[in-house]
Amino acid sequence: MDSLTSPLAAVHPEGTEYGAAQEAHVALRYTTLDEEYTAIRERAAVLDLSGSRVLEVSGSDATDFMQRALARDVEYLTSERCMTSLVLDEEGLVVDQVVVWGREDGMLVESSVGGGARLLEHLRSVAGEDRVEIKDLTGEQVLLGLEGPYAWGVVGRLVDGELAALPFESVVDTTWDGVDVLFARTGVTGEYGYKVLVPHDQAATLWAKAVEQATPAGHEALELAMLEVRQPTHHEHADGADVLTMGANWLVDITKESFIGRDAVLAAFSGGATRRTVGFSGGDTVPAAGTPVTVGGEQVGVVVHAVHSIGLGAPLGLARLDADLAAAGLRLTVGDADVTTLTSPYVTPKSWSTPII
Amino acid sequence: MKLSIDELRATAAARLQTCAQIKKMIVSRLDLPIEPDWITDDQPLFGRGLELDSLDVLELYVAIEAEFGVALYDSDMSVFGSVSRLADHVNPKLAEANSLTGA
Repeated sequence: MDSLTSPLAAVHPEGTEYGAAQEAHVALRYTTLDEEYTAIRERAAVLDLSGSRVLEVSGSDATDFMQRALARDVEYLTSERCMTSLVLDEEGLVVDQVVVWGREDGMLVESSVGGGARLLEHLRSVAGEDRVEIKDLTGEQVLLGLEGPYAWGVVGRLVDGELAALPFESVVDTTWDGVDVLFARTGVTGEYGYKVLVPHDQAATLWAKAVEQATPAGHEALELAMLEVRQPTHHEHADGADVLTMGANWLVDITKESFIGRDAVLAAFSGGATRRTVGFSGGDTVPAAGTPVTVGGEQVGVVVHAVHSIGLGAPLGLARLDADLAAAGLRLTVGDADVTTLTSPYVTPKSWSTPII
Repeated sequence: MKLSIDELRATAAARLQTCAQIKKMIVSRLDLPIEPDWITDDQPLFGRGLELDSLDVLELYVAIEAEFGVALYDSDMSVFGSVSRLADHVNPKLAEANSLTGA
Protein backbone atom coordinates (compact mmCIF):
# COMPACT_ATOMS: atom_id res chain seq x y z
CA MET A 1 0.00 0.00 0.00
CA ASP A 2 1.43 3.40 -0.95
CA SER A 3 2.31 5.97 1.69
CA LEU A 4 -0.73 7.95 2.77
CA THR A 5 -0.43 11.61 1.77
CA SER A 6 -2.75 14.43 2.72
CA PRO A 7 -5.30 15.57 0.15
CA LEU A 8 -4.98 18.97 1.84
CA ALA A 9 -1.28 19.37 1.08
CA ALA A 10 -2.05 21.82 -1.72
CA VAL A 11 -3.74 24.22 0.72
CA HIS A 12 -1.25 23.84 3.56
CA PRO A 13 0.78 27.00 4.23
CA GLU A 14 3.92 27.53 2.19
CA GLY A 15 6.95 26.21 4.04
CA THR A 16 5.09 23.36 5.77
CA GLU A 17 7.52 20.68 6.93
CA TYR A 18 6.49 17.09 6.26
CA GLY A 19 7.68 13.78 7.63
CA ALA A 20 6.72 10.17 8.24
CA ALA A 21 4.29 8.99 10.88
CA GLN A 22 4.22 5.21 10.40
CA GLU A 23 2.75 4.76 6.88
CA ALA A 24 1.58 8.35 6.53
CA HIS A 25 3.37 11.37 5.11
CA VAL A 26 2.08 14.10 7.43
CA ALA A 27 2.53 17.79 8.11
CA LEU A 28 4.90 17.91 11.07
CA ARG A 29 4.90 21.71 11.36
CA TYR A 30 3.19 24.51 9.49
CA THR A 31 4.99 27.32 11.32
CA THR A 32 6.86 26.64 14.56
CA LEU A 33 6.31 23.93 17.16
CA ASP A 34 6.08 26.56 19.87
CA GLU A 35 3.32 28.50 18.10
CA GLU A 36 1.31 25.40 17.29
CA TYR A 37 1.69 23.88 20.75
CA THR A 38 0.60 27.17 22.33
CA ALA A 39 -2.51 27.15 20.16
CA ILE A 40 -3.42 23.68 21.43
CA ARG A 41 -2.82 24.57 25.08
CA GLU A 42 -3.99 28.18 25.16
CA ARG A 43 -6.43 28.84 22.31
CA ALA A 44 -7.61 26.53 19.52
CA ALA A 45 -5.81 24.53 16.86
CA VAL A 46 -7.07 22.89 13.68
CA LEU A 47 -5.56 19.53 12.74
CA ASP A 48 -5.28 17.76 9.41
CA LEU A 49 -5.94 14.17 10.50
CA SER A 50 -5.99 12.68 7.01
CA GLY A 51 -3.06 10.48 8.07
CA SER A 52 -5.69 8.39 9.84
CA ARG A 53 -7.55 5.92 7.65
CA VAL A 54 -11.30 5.70 8.19
CA LEU A 55 -12.61 2.20 7.57
CA GLU A 56 -16.29 1.41 7.12
CA VAL A 57 -17.29 -1.96 8.56
CA SER A 58 -20.75 -3.05 7.47
CA GLY A 59 -22.75 -6.21 6.85
CA SER A 60 -24.97 -8.50 8.91
CA ASP A 61 -22.08 -9.70 11.09
CA ALA A 62 -20.53 -6.26 11.57
CA THR A 63 -21.30 -5.90 15.28
CA ASP A 64 -20.23 -9.45 16.15
CA PHE A 65 -17.07 -9.02 14.12
CA MET A 66 -16.17 -5.75 15.80
CA GLN A 67 -16.89 -7.25 19.22
CA ARG A 68 -14.29 -9.89 18.39
CA ALA A 69 -11.77 -7.50 16.88
CA LEU A 70 -11.90 -4.72 19.47
CA ALA A 71 -10.64 -4.88 23.04
CA ARG A 72 -13.52 -2.76 24.32
CA ASP A 73 -17.24 -3.49 24.30
CA VAL A 74 -19.08 -2.01 21.30
CA GLU A 75 -22.19 -4.20 21.33
CA TYR A 76 -24.41 -1.27 22.30
CA LEU A 77 -22.51 1.50 20.55
CA THR A 78 -25.25 3.65 18.99
CA SER A 79 -24.95 5.91 15.97
CA GLU A 80 -24.67 8.87 18.36
CA ARG A 81 -21.56 7.63 20.14
CA CYS A 82 -17.89 6.92 19.54
CA MET A 83 -15.22 5.38 21.74
CA THR A 84 -11.50 4.66 21.83
CA SER A 85 -10.23 1.09 21.92
CA LEU A 86 -7.17 -1.00 21.26
CA VAL A 87 -7.11 -3.65 18.54
CA LEU A 88 -4.95 -6.56 19.67
CA ASP A 89 -3.51 -9.63 17.99
CA GLU A 90 -3.75 -13.14 19.44
CA GLU A 91 -0.58 -12.55 21.48
CA GLY A 92 -2.19 -9.51 23.09
CA LEU A 93 0.12 -7.08 21.30
CA VAL A 94 -1.23 -3.80 19.97
CA VAL A 95 -2.19 -3.69 16.29
CA ASP A 96 -3.54 -0.15 16.57
CA GLN A 97 -5.34 2.31 18.80
CA VAL A 98 -8.62 3.26 17.13
CA VAL A 99 -11.70 5.41 17.53
CA VAL A 100 -14.89 3.52 16.71
CA TRP A 101 -17.85 5.57 15.49
CA GLY A 102 -21.27 3.95 15.81
CA ARG A 103 -23.40 3.96 12.64
CA GLU A 104 -26.87 2.71 11.82
CA ASP A 105 -25.37 0.03 9.58
CA GLY A 106 -22.10 -1.09 11.13
CA MET A 107 -19.33 1.18 12.37
CA LEU A 108 -16.55 3.46 11.23
CA VAL A 109 -13.08 2.66 12.52
CA GLU A 110 -10.59 5.51 12.63
CA SER A 111 -6.98 4.33 12.76
CA SER A 112 -4.15 6.08 14.55
CA VAL A 113 -2.23 8.53 12.37
CA GLY A 114 -0.24 6.32 10.02
CA GLY A 115 -1.54 3.08 11.48
CA GLY A 116 -4.32 2.45 8.96
CA ALA A 117 -2.66 0.06 6.52
CA ARG A 118 -1.61 -2.33 9.29
CA LEU A 119 -5.08 -2.07 10.85
CA LEU A 120 -6.84 -2.73 7.55
CA GLU A 121 -4.68 -5.76 6.83
CA HIS A 122 -5.31 -7.14 10.32
CA LEU A 123 -9.09 -6.65 10.19
CA ARG A 124 -9.33 -8.29 6.79
CA SER A 125 -7.20 -11.20 7.96
CA VAL A 126 -9.39 -11.92 11.00
CA ALA A 127 -12.72 -11.40 9.22
CA GLY A 128 -12.68 -15.01 8.06
CA GLU A 129 -16.14 -16.22 7.11
CA ASP A 130 -17.90 -13.30 8.80
CA ARG A 131 -20.42 -11.51 6.62
CA VAL A 132 -18.72 -8.15 6.78
CA GLU A 133 -17.46 -5.66 4.28
CA ILE A 134 -14.45 -3.59 5.28
CA LYS A 135 -14.12 -0.56 3.05
CA ASP A 136 -11.30 1.98 3.18
CA LEU A 137 -12.88 5.43 2.89
CA THR A 138 -9.53 7.10 2.17
CA GLY A 139 -10.06 9.23 -0.91
CA GLU A 140 -13.75 9.69 -0.12
CA GLN A 141 -13.74 11.26 3.33
CA VAL A 142 -11.22 13.46 5.16
CA LEU A 143 -10.90 13.84 8.92
CA LEU A 144 -10.20 17.25 10.48
CA GLY A 145 -9.72 17.94 14.18
CA LEU A 146 -9.98 20.85 16.58
CA GLU A 147 -8.19 20.88 19.95
CA GLY A 148 -7.81 23.60 22.55
CA PRO A 149 -9.43 25.27 25.56
CA TYR A 150 -11.37 27.54 23.19
CA ALA A 151 -12.00 24.99 20.42
CA TRP A 152 -15.64 25.09 21.43
CA GLY A 153 -15.77 28.70 20.25
CA VAL A 154 -14.47 27.69 16.84
CA VAL A 155 -17.15 25.01 16.62
CA GLY A 156 -19.73 27.69 17.28
CA ARG A 157 -18.41 30.00 14.59
CA LEU A 158 -17.68 27.26 12.08
CA VAL A 159 -20.46 24.68 12.46
CA ASP A 160 -23.08 25.07 15.18
CA GLY A 161 -22.73 26.45 18.71
CA GLU A 162 -25.01 23.78 20.15
CA LEU A 163 -22.57 21.07 19.06
CA ALA A 164 -19.76 22.53 21.16
CA ALA A 165 -21.27 21.34 24.44
CA LEU A 166 -22.07 17.79 23.34
CA PRO A 167 -21.15 15.15 25.92
CA PHE A 168 -17.71 13.62 25.46
CA GLU A 169 -17.69 10.92 22.73
CA SER A 170 -20.96 12.06 21.18
CA VAL A 171 -21.47 11.80 17.40
CA VAL A 172 -23.89 13.89 15.32
CA ASP A 173 -24.85 13.73 11.66
CA THR A 174 -25.06 17.34 10.61
CA THR A 175 -24.39 19.65 7.69
CA TRP A 176 -21.71 22.21 7.05
CA ASP A 177 -22.18 24.66 4.18
CA GLY A 178 -24.91 22.41 2.79
CA VAL A 179 -22.74 19.30 2.89
CA ASP A 180 -23.42 16.23 5.04
CA VAL A 181 -20.66 15.80 7.63
CA LEU A 182 -20.14 13.63 10.68
CA PHE A 183 -19.24 15.58 13.81
CA ALA A 184 -17.88 14.20 17.10
CA ARG A 185 -16.74 15.53 20.47
CA THR A 186 -13.51 13.67 21.17
CA GLY A 187 -10.15 15.02 22.35
CA VAL A 188 -6.72 13.47 22.84
CA THR A 189 -4.72 16.30 24.42
CA GLY A 190 -6.80 16.83 27.55
CA GLU A 191 -8.17 20.02 25.98
CA TYR A 192 -11.61 20.31 24.40
CA GLY A 193 -11.52 18.31 21.19
CA TYR A 194 -13.74 17.79 18.15
CA LYS A 195 -13.55 15.97 14.84
CA VAL A 196 -15.33 16.47 11.55
CA LEU A 197 -15.47 13.82 8.85
CA VAL A 198 -16.09 15.70 5.61
CA PRO A 199 -16.43 14.55 1.98
CA HIS A 200 -13.12 14.71 0.11
CA ASP A 201 -14.33 17.39 -2.31
CA GLN A 202 -15.26 19.77 0.51
CA ALA A 203 -12.27 19.17 2.77
CA ALA A 204 -10.08 21.95 1.40
CA THR A 205 -12.89 24.49 1.78
CA LEU A 206 -13.56 23.45 5.37
CA TRP A 207 -9.83 23.56 6.14
CA ALA A 208 -9.60 27.09 4.72
CA LYS A 209 -12.56 28.23 6.81
CA ALA A 210 -11.14 26.54 9.91
CA VAL A 211 -7.72 28.19 9.67
CA GLU A 212 -9.48 31.57 9.66
CA GLN A 213 -10.68 30.68 13.17
CA ALA A 214 -7.87 28.53 14.59
CA THR A 215 -4.14 28.00 14.21
CA PRO A 216 -3.14 24.98 12.12
CA ALA A 217 -1.07 22.59 14.23
CA GLY A 218 1.02 19.77 12.84
CA HIS A 219 1.66 16.23 13.97
CA GLU A 220 4.64 17.18 16.14
CA ALA A 221 2.62 19.55 18.36
CA LEU A 222 -0.25 17.08 18.54
CA GLU A 223 1.96 14.21 19.70
CA LEU A 224 3.67 16.40 22.28
CA ALA A 225 0.34 17.51 23.73
CA MET A 226 -0.84 13.89 23.77
CA LEU A 227 2.29 12.74 25.62
CA GLU A 228 1.88 15.48 28.23
CA VAL A 229 -1.46 13.94 29.29
CA ARG A 230 -0.23 10.35 28.88
CA GLN A 231 -2.47 9.66 25.88
CA PRO A 232 -0.94 6.58 24.22
CA THR A 233 0.78 6.97 20.86
CA HIS A 234 2.28 4.38 18.56
CA HIS A 235 5.72 5.03 20.09
CA GLU A 236 4.58 3.16 23.18
CA HIS A 237 3.94 -0.13 21.44
CA ALA A 238 6.42 0.12 18.60
CA ASP A 239 8.79 -2.13 20.58
CA GLY A 240 6.15 -4.85 21.00
CA ALA A 241 5.27 -4.05 24.61
CA ASP A 242 2.10 -5.64 25.91
CA VAL A 243 -0.92 -3.79 27.26
CA LEU A 244 0.08 -4.09 30.92
CA THR A 245 3.65 -2.94 30.35
CA MET A 246 2.33 0.06 28.41
CA GLY A 247 -0.26 0.83 31.10
CA ALA A 248 -2.98 0.95 28.46
CA ASN A 249 -5.40 -1.16 30.52
CA TRP A 250 -8.09 1.51 30.19
CA LEU A 251 -8.33 0.78 26.48
CA VAL A 252 -9.15 -2.87 27.16
CA ASP A 253 -12.43 -4.09 28.68
CA ILE A 254 -11.31 -7.09 30.65
CA THR A 255 -14.91 -7.84 31.69
CA LYS A 256 -15.85 -8.53 28.06
CA GLU A 257 -16.26 -12.26 27.56
CA SER A 258 -14.35 -12.67 24.35
CA PHE A 259 -12.10 -10.71 22.00
CA ILE A 260 -8.90 -11.33 20.10
CA GLY A 261 -5.97 -11.11 22.50
CA ARG A 262 -8.03 -11.50 25.69
CA ASP A 263 -6.40 -14.76 26.77
CA ALA A 264 -2.93 -13.29 26.39
CA VAL A 265 -3.87 -10.17 28.33
CA LEU A 266 -5.42 -12.24 31.13
CA ALA A 267 -2.34 -14.45 31.31
CA ALA A 268 -0.10 -11.40 31.55
CA PHE A 269 -2.33 -9.91 34.26
CA SER A 270 -2.20 -13.13 36.27
CA GLY A 271 1.56 -13.29 35.92
CA GLY A 272 2.12 -9.64 36.83
CA ALA A 273 4.08 -7.35 34.54
CA THR A 274 7.83 -7.28 35.25
CA ARG A 275 8.14 -3.81 33.76
CA ARG A 276 5.82 -0.83 33.67
CA THR A 277 5.86 2.55 31.95
CA VAL A 278 6.36 5.82 33.83
CA GLY A 279 6.86 9.41 32.71
CA PHE A 280 10.01 11.30 33.62
CA SER A 281 11.49 14.75 33.19
CA GLY A 282 14.92 16.26 33.68
CA GLY A 283 18.28 16.89 32.09
CA ASP A 284 19.15 19.34 29.34
CA THR A 285 18.89 17.13 26.29
CA VAL A 286 16.23 14.77 24.96
CA PRO A 287 17.41 11.17 25.43
CA ALA A 288 17.08 8.76 22.54
CA ALA A 289 14.79 5.75 22.72
CA GLY A 290 16.76 2.89 24.20
CA THR A 291 18.86 5.04 26.56
CA PRO A 292 19.44 3.09 29.77
CA VAL A 293 17.79 4.21 33.02
CA THR A 294 20.06 3.54 35.97
CA VAL A 295 20.36 3.81 39.74
CA GLY A 296 23.89 3.88 41.11
CA GLY A 297 25.15 2.42 37.85
CA GLU A 298 22.65 -0.46 37.89
CA GLN A 299 20.26 -0.53 34.93
CA VAL A 300 16.62 -0.55 36.02
CA GLY A 301 14.94 0.37 32.77
CA VAL A 302 15.10 1.95 29.34
CA VAL A 303 13.73 5.07 27.63
CA VAL A 304 10.80 4.34 25.31
CA HIS A 305 10.21 7.77 23.79
CA ALA A 306 11.13 11.33 24.72
CA VAL A 307 10.67 14.86 23.41
CA HIS A 308 11.18 18.39 24.65
CA SER A 309 8.03 19.40 26.50
CA ILE A 310 7.10 23.02 25.98
CA GLY A 311 4.62 22.78 28.85
CA LEU A 312 7.30 21.63 31.30
CA GLY A 313 10.16 23.56 29.70
CA ALA A 314 12.28 20.43 29.92
CA PRO A 315 12.73 17.02 28.32
CA LEU A 316 9.77 14.71 28.90
CA GLY A 317 9.83 11.00 28.26
CA LEU A 318 8.42 7.61 29.02
CA ALA A 319 10.57 4.87 30.49
CA ARG A 320 10.02 1.17 31.03
CA LEU A 321 11.16 0.43 34.57
CA ASP A 322 11.32 -2.60 36.81
CA ALA A 323 7.79 -2.89 38.20
CA ASP A 324 8.88 -2.23 41.79
CA LEU A 325 10.43 1.09 40.71
CA ALA A 326 7.60 2.18 38.43
CA ALA A 327 6.32 5.00 40.61
CA ALA A 328 6.20 8.78 40.47
CA GLY A 329 8.54 10.91 42.54
CA LEU A 330 11.80 8.96 42.18
CA ARG A 331 15.18 10.44 41.25
CA LEU A 332 16.81 8.27 38.60
CA THR A 333 19.55 8.64 36.01
CA VAL A 334 18.88 8.61 32.27
CA GLY A 335 22.13 8.48 30.32
CA ASP A 336 24.16 11.05 32.28
CA ALA A 337 21.21 13.19 33.38
CA ASP A 338 19.32 13.23 36.66
CA VAL A 339 15.58 12.88 36.11
CA THR A 340 12.47 12.57 38.23
CA THR A 341 9.57 10.24 37.54
CA LEU A 342 6.26 12.05 37.27
CA THR A 343 2.61 11.98 38.15
CA SER A 344 0.28 11.94 35.14
CA PRO A 345 -0.94 14.17 33.56
CA TYR A 346 2.41 15.91 33.32
CA VAL A 347 0.78 19.17 32.22
CA THR A 348 -2.65 20.17 33.55
CA PRO A 349 -4.90 21.06 30.59
CA LYS A 350 -6.34 24.55 30.62
CA SER A 351 -9.69 23.14 29.52
CA TRP A 352 -10.14 21.58 32.94
CA SER A 353 -10.71 25.05 34.36
CA THR A 354 -12.25 26.65 31.25
CA PRO A 355 -16.04 26.26 30.98
CA ILE A 356 -17.86 26.09 27.68
CA ILE A 357 -20.13 29.16 27.57
CA MET B 1 20.27 13.80 47.53
CA LYS B 2 20.39 10.56 45.60
CA LEU B 3 18.97 7.48 47.23
CA SER B 4 20.32 3.97 46.96
CA ILE B 5 18.35 1.49 44.95
CA ASP B 6 16.98 -0.10 48.11
CA GLU B 7 15.88 3.30 49.41
CA LEU B 8 14.26 4.04 46.05
CA ARG B 9 12.42 0.73 46.16
CA ALA B 10 11.12 1.58 49.63
CA THR B 11 9.98 5.03 48.43
CA ALA B 12 8.31 3.48 45.39
CA ALA B 13 6.62 0.86 47.56
CA ALA B 14 5.06 3.59 49.73
CA ARG B 15 3.60 5.34 46.68
CA LEU B 16 2.42 2.11 45.09
CA GLN B 17 0.76 1.19 48.39
CA THR B 18 -1.12 4.50 48.49
CA CYS B 19 -2.17 4.07 44.86
CA ALA B 20 -3.33 0.52 45.59
CA GLN B 21 -5.40 1.78 48.52
CA ILE B 22 -7.01 4.42 46.31
CA LYS B 23 -7.82 1.89 43.57
CA LYS B 24 -9.39 -0.45 46.11
CA MET B 25 -11.47 2.42 47.47
CA ILE B 26 -12.64 3.45 43.98
CA VAL B 27 -13.64 -0.09 43.00
CA SER B 28 -15.41 -0.67 46.30
CA ARG B 29 -17.23 2.66 46.56
CA LEU B 30 -18.29 2.78 42.92
CA ASP B 31 -18.94 -0.94 42.70
CA LEU B 32 -16.83 -1.33 39.57
CA PRO B 33 -16.74 -4.83 38.00
CA ILE B 34 -12.92 -4.97 37.82
CA GLU B 35 -10.06 -5.90 40.09
CA PRO B 36 -8.38 -2.84 41.63
CA ASP B 37 -5.01 -3.85 40.18
CA TRP B 38 -6.46 -3.54 36.69
CA ILE B 39 -6.52 0.25 37.17
CA THR B 40 -3.14 1.81 36.42
CA ASP B 41 -1.52 4.63 38.39
CA ASP B 42 -1.55 6.92 35.33
CA GLN B 43 -5.09 6.07 34.29
CA PRO B 44 -7.28 9.13 33.78
CA LEU B 45 -10.43 9.06 35.86
CA PHE B 46 -12.77 11.31 33.85
CA GLY B 47 -13.83 11.33 30.22
CA ARG B 48 -11.42 8.80 28.84
CA GLY B 49 -10.04 6.29 31.31
CA LEU B 50 -12.37 5.17 34.08
CA GLU B 51 -15.11 7.41 32.62
CA LEU B 52 -16.35 8.60 36.00
CA ASP B 53 -19.15 11.17 36.10
CA SER B 54 -20.08 13.97 38.49
CA LEU B 55 -22.07 11.67 40.77
CA ASP B 56 -19.05 9.40 41.07
CA VAL B 57 -17.01 12.43 42.10
CA LEU B 58 -19.36 13.23 44.94
CA GLU B 59 -19.06 9.67 46.15
CA LEU B 60 -15.28 9.86 45.97
CA TYR B 61 -15.14 13.14 47.91
CA VAL B 62 -16.92 11.43 50.78
CA ALA B 63 -14.85 8.26 50.48
CA ILE B 64 -11.52 10.06 50.40
CA GLU B 65 -12.32 12.10 53.49
CA ALA B 66 -13.49 9.00 55.32
CA GLU B 67 -10.53 6.86 54.31
CA PHE B 68 -7.67 9.35 54.24
CA GLY B 69 -8.95 12.23 56.37
CA VAL B 70 -8.36 14.66 53.49
CA ALA B 71 -10.99 17.13 52.33
CA LEU B 72 -10.92 17.92 48.61
CA TYR B 73 -12.54 20.92 46.97
CA ASP B 74 -14.55 20.81 43.78
CA SER B 75 -12.75 23.86 42.41
CA ASP B 76 -9.69 21.74 41.62
CA MET B 77 -10.72 18.90 39.35
CA SER B 78 -7.09 18.24 38.44
CA VAL B 79 -6.95 16.16 41.63
CA PHE B 80 -8.74 13.48 39.65
CA GLY B 81 -6.30 13.61 36.74
CA SER B 82 -5.11 10.11 37.62
CA VAL B 83 -4.82 7.72 40.54
CA SER B 84 -1.26 8.90 41.04
CA ARG B 85 -2.34 12.57 41.04
CA LEU B 86 -4.94 11.71 43.66
CA ALA B 87 -2.22 9.96 45.68
CA ASP B 88 -0.26 13.24 45.72
CA HIS B 89 -3.21 14.89 47.45
CA VAL B 90 -4.11 12.24 49.99
CA ASN B 91 -0.44 11.80 50.92
CA PRO B 92 1.29 15.16 50.36
CA LYS B 93 4.74 13.70 51.03
CA LEU B 94 4.39 11.82 47.75
CA ALA B 95 4.01 15.08 45.84
CA GLU B 96 7.26 16.66 47.03
CA ALA B 97 9.48 15.24 44.30
CA ASN B 98 6.95 16.13 41.62
CA SER B 99 6.74 19.71 42.83
CA LEU B 100 10.48 20.03 42.27
CA THR B 101 9.89 19.51 38.55
CA GLY B 102 6.89 21.78 38.35
CA ALA B 103 4.74 18.88 37.20
